[in-house]
Amino acid sequence: MIQHLRKDFWSHCFLVILAFIALYPFIYMIITSFKTNGQFYSHFFGITFPLHFENYRLAWESIGGYIFNSVFVGVVSVLLIICSSALAGYSFARLRFLGKNFLYMSVVALLMIPGLLTLIPLFLLIKGFGLLNSYAGLILAFAAAGQAFTIFVFRQSFASLPEELFEAARIDGCGEMRVFLQIVLPLAKPIVGTMAIWNLLTIWNEYMMPLVLISDSSKFPITVGLIQFKSQFVSQTLYGPMFAGYTIASLPLLLLFIFTMRLFMKGLTSGAVKM
Amino acid sequence: MAKTVEDVKIARVIKHSRLKKHFRYNWKSGYGMLIPSFILLILFMYYPAMIAIGFSFTNWDGFNQPQFTGLTNYSALFHDKIFWLSLKNVGIWAVIKVVIELLVPLIVAVVIYHLNSKRMQYIYRVLFVIPVVVPGIVMFMIWSFIYDPNVGVLNALLHAVGMDGFIKNWLGDPKLALYALMFVGFPFVIPFNLLIFFAGLQNISESIYESAKLDGITRIKRFLHIEMPLVMGQVKLILILTVIQLLQNVTLPLVMTNGGPGYSTYVPGLYMYFLAFQNGQFGLGMAVSMIIFVIVLILTWIQMKYINPSTEYEA
Repeated sequence: MIQHLRKDFWSHCFLVILAFIALYPFIYMIITSFKTNGQFYSHFFGITFPLHFENYRLAWESIGGYIFNSVFVGVVSVLLIICSSALAGYSFARLRFLGKNFLYMSVVALLMIPGLLTLIPLFLLIKGFGLLNSYAGLILAFAAAGQAFTIFVFRQSFASLPEELFEAARIDGCGEMRVFLQIVLPLAKPIVGTMAIWNLLTIWNEYMMPLVLISDSSKFPITVGLIQFKSQFVSQTLYGPMFAGYTIASLPLLLLFIFTMRLFMKGLTSGAVKM
Repeated sequence: MAKTVEDVKIARVIKHSRLKKHFRYNWKSGYGMLIPSFILLILFMYYPAMIAIGFSFTNWDGFNQPQFTGLTNYSALFHDKIFWLSLKNVGIWAVIKVVIELLVPLIVAVVIYHLNSKRMQYIYRVLFVIPVVVPGIVMFMIWSFIYDPNVGVLNALLHAVGMDGFIKNWLGDPKLALYALMFVGFPFVIPFNLLIFFAGLQNISESIYESAKLDGITRIKRFLHIEMPLVMGQVKLILILTVIQLLQNVTLPLVMTNGGPGYSTYVPGLYMYFLAFQNGQFGLGMAVSMIIFVIVLILTWIQMKYINPSTEYEA
């Protein structure tokens, strides 16, 4: 180990400094989230004691509701995305029917369509359905937006399963639905998990869609809610609670990442490379 | 004896054709399993895309009956100084950022890849991926704070090292604001790109490196002549994705500068948002989004056509 470190000394220097700079804004955020205004002005960069945990309580009172909204909308949308696109991915990967390639290409083509193109019409459409300012409208919009990429990755992954598995099941007279549920899904758990995380991440970060579709502040997800939250604390210049709020907004995903790290990184690289 | 061999053959053929038949004629489940996805896609992707195309030729304001106005929206945009300015901004933005967002992660990936300890390779990858979990909006707000003219980190840092002359109102100066926004996310080790490049490097066969080592090739030469060409497939993929993503970057300028000061940080996506949701000019807004779409299509086509991946390597 030590020998390794010595051998790659300059590489390690380079990487450590770069990682520190990349992570510094978040380190600063966490340090500042424990400060009172007095500590903030007297020790701008350093860690100060005592740590003020009450900043977090104060911040949670304002953004707890937004976090709940994001979790609810995120989980329901991801379930919808995974269920529907796993079926579609299986169909594209393993079954034969007329027009399959055309349909598949029309799905892949969506990867090239910028989300901005559909933002205005989506707003008008959802307004037309009377779903503006509701969780349902937001969830449907998210579920549709996640389809193309998820189907694409699932198809790649299901297509690489060995054909013998399917032959055996089909000779036994298994229906396609049963083959899918009992053979494909258990084998595909890692990629399903990865895509669930990937979609949750995208939805958690999305700003424009909820900004346009939701106007009632009690239904805001965390991204839109944070803007409101920020203006509330900036006007009172309470920097501690403000940064505590930012930290809380990042915690759910950080926890998810910590618990699924290997799966997450593996899937990110395996799924997206082969285009 | 010959008979039995033939019997086996026949049996095999029968079995094979039955399988093939089964494989070919499962259109019922084939279409059936597509239904849930396609309901969502047709309603909320294809149909809105059609609306965008159609209504970009109308003067729709969201309330009154839309009227077909032909190319009026497009010619209005053609004579619109703000629109050209926003195109120019996004052009500068995309060109500079594409280079940085491809090059930096690639270099970092190469450096990590050549570490001797597998464990350290993994640790560094995790470190650089962590920013993924922080919502973009949080990052933008932290950077707004870094740039804050009164209490910001950047000015405090400049003051601390005695470079008071460089203290600026970063987001408030029309000449600086666009570049300040581009600097958000420094040092630009984009996690997704890093992981994909790293995977690409892992696919390069070990024997190439060994022969390169025997030739006594320098690191820079190795990077330019071996690693760069062999990850071209990944470069192509990331290039397309990065350009598409940069062209529709709205959230960053919206949250940090609201397009200001003046129009100095306007980008087409932001202009579209303002036109539609602040001025109620939905038709005109959709014309802007159509232009973005066409630009994306043209760029993607150029990339597909002229940048050939040279990932095929035979040892």
